Amino acid sequence: MKTSDLLFSEISTWANPTEIAWINQKNIGDSKSLALAFVMTPRFISKQAIENVTEIIPGWNFRGWSLDRLVRVYFISLLEANSKHESEFHEQLNILFDTAEMNESVALYSALPLLKNPKNWILRATDAVRSNIGIAFDAIAFGNPYPKNHFNELAWNQLVLKCIFNDKPIHLIDGLNERANQVLADTLSDFAHERWAAERRVPSQVWRICVDFINPKLAEDIQQLLKSKSQNDVIAGKLVLKQSNSALLDPLRKQIDLSENMNWALLEKPDPIYTV
Amino acid sequence: MCKNPHQQDLNPSHFEGTEEEKIAASEVDQGYMSHIKGMKFFDPHMHMSSRTTDDYQALADAGVVALIEPSFWLGQPRTGLASFKDYFSSLVGWERFRSSQFGIKHYCTIGLNSREANNEALAEQVMEILPLFLQKEGVVGVGEIGFDDQTAAEEKYYRAQLELAKEMNLPVQVHTPHRDKKRGTERSMSIALEHGLDPKMVIIDHNNEETVKSVLDQGFQAAFTIYPFTKMGNERMVEIVKVYGPTRIMVNSAADWGISDPLAIPKTAALMKIKGIDEETIRLVTYQNALDAFAQSGQINESDFISGMSVDQSEKFNGNTVLRGGQAPRINKNSLIIR
Repeated sequence: MKTSDLLFSEISTWANPTEIAWINQKNIGDSKSLALAFVMTPRFISKQAIENVTEIIPGWNFRGWSLDRLVRVYFISLLEANSKHESEFHEQLNILFDTAEMNESVALYSALPLLKNPKNWILRATDAVRSNIGIAFDAIAFGNPYPKNHFNELAWNQLVLKCIFNDKPIHLIDGLNERANQVLADTLSDFAHERWAAERRVPSQVWRICVDFINPKLAEDIQQLLKSKSQNDVIAGKLVLKQSNSALLDPLRKQIDLSENMNWALLEKPDPIYTV
Repeated sequence: MCKNPHQQDLNPSHFEGTEEEKIAASEVDQGYMSHIKGMKFFDPHMHMSSRTTDDYQALADAGVVALIEPSFWLGQPRTGLASFKDYFSSLVGWERFRSSQFGIKHYCTIGLNSREANNEALAEQVMEILPLFLQKEGVVGVGEIGFDDQTAAEEKYYRAQLELAKEMNLPVQVHTPHRDKKRGTERSMSIALEHGLDPKMVIIDHNNEETVKSVLDQGFQAAFTIYPFTKMGNERMVEIVKVYGPTRIMVNSAADWGISDPLAIPKTAALMKIKGIDEETIRLVTYQNALDAFAQSGQINESDFISGMSVDQSEKFNGNTVLRGGQAPRINKNSLIIR
């Protein structure tokens, strides 16, 4: 089954007959009229909250999306399928990116992992990470497999660090464990030290990305966590002790009672670090 | 923008309140906020791109829940299409987001302004991209367009954009000129009627005592810009509302790059309250009339902002609301210490 057909069947679960009729009127158009349908979508499709019934591609989910966002993704998928040449598709998609309204940006970034040659759009994807428009950033960061599959290490690390810096829920990043790396773990340590020097903190769950990269400096950080007044930091420290294989943590393991059953989900909740 | 501020003495207002009212108004200079507790405001003309986050914070505190940013020039002429495109994009992108962080719903109108209509080569290119932006979510009209110097080029693009508005069934926000205002306003209205626009779809902006009667008599919407030195003062505004009532009258602040006051609406509402205008009239001219006029675009949903900008489904994760570049954390502006 083609991606656009899969998307249409998901849409059918949520859309009412009037909405379906409008989509069916638009989905036979050429690339120009599909691009226009993309822009016009919210005039005809509601913003009701949806979630996926099936998984279309691994790691891509639309939990918490509004229906118009999914319909826009569908139009992008059709735009690619129905364009006569790749250059025609590129031209239309670039116009949409360059003139995008806020919610349009969100839909465009959401559609990137579905494209035939996703790698061609890497600059658009890293622009989303640079964006300070919260919902545009979130569209590439969360429930989207594009970064995991196509970002190089530098871009990946920037994504994760910006998430942490902006108090966003890193556990929603697809591939967080698979793409964890030594450079990222070291940079997190540096960031935490800056925050601590200013008597500030970092969200407790972020230490999960260090589990496989413990070096002497990070081992000290874990020790610091275990001494923290924050219960959540202590939990994070214990979880690293439990999950890491590093011998550097053995002295700590001897001092701390690790019998309690716990997991990172305990810390997957809002943990604001910018408060007055 | 500002003319010579000293000129204001040359044109005394036709309307004056009583001596007692003037004294009352000057006595409450401080603490006017107590007079507008619980009121909500809709400002249909604010150039927020030229304002700071402090202004957004002050607007939110004063009860402004939604605003419209008309596209205009940037204080100097643009030299290429790309800068128009980026400007329009910012009105539906970054500025919209910036506003949302303070819980204020941001709409805009898109158009080729009168000054830059005079660069015809560029104007032609801008006309090409307008339809795309006019179809975007939250674009509530064509604006601000109209006359500045009243040149032939200005007229040409004013007419072309009226046609566009008619075709797309969008309201029009008409800028009236600083100089030769009365004639410019009449001309703007007669051209709009000539093109078959319904006058209730046309918001004639920057009115004063000299223009208001004709605008209302012909069925147009009359907007007043409370702007120091040049356009309207809010004492004069109160008198206008006393004479003409609230129908099809709305107040705005312009809040642009000149010496303007983003809190013009809340202040005018307070002054109206002090001067004995009833709350329903105040509500109409500082909120409802602007909303109704621009809601004719089909792009305004009052429930999006009336009880504060709600956190929608897309801003929730696992049922938990998180700060995702949503509401900005507050800082205490009076504190010496910055943490």
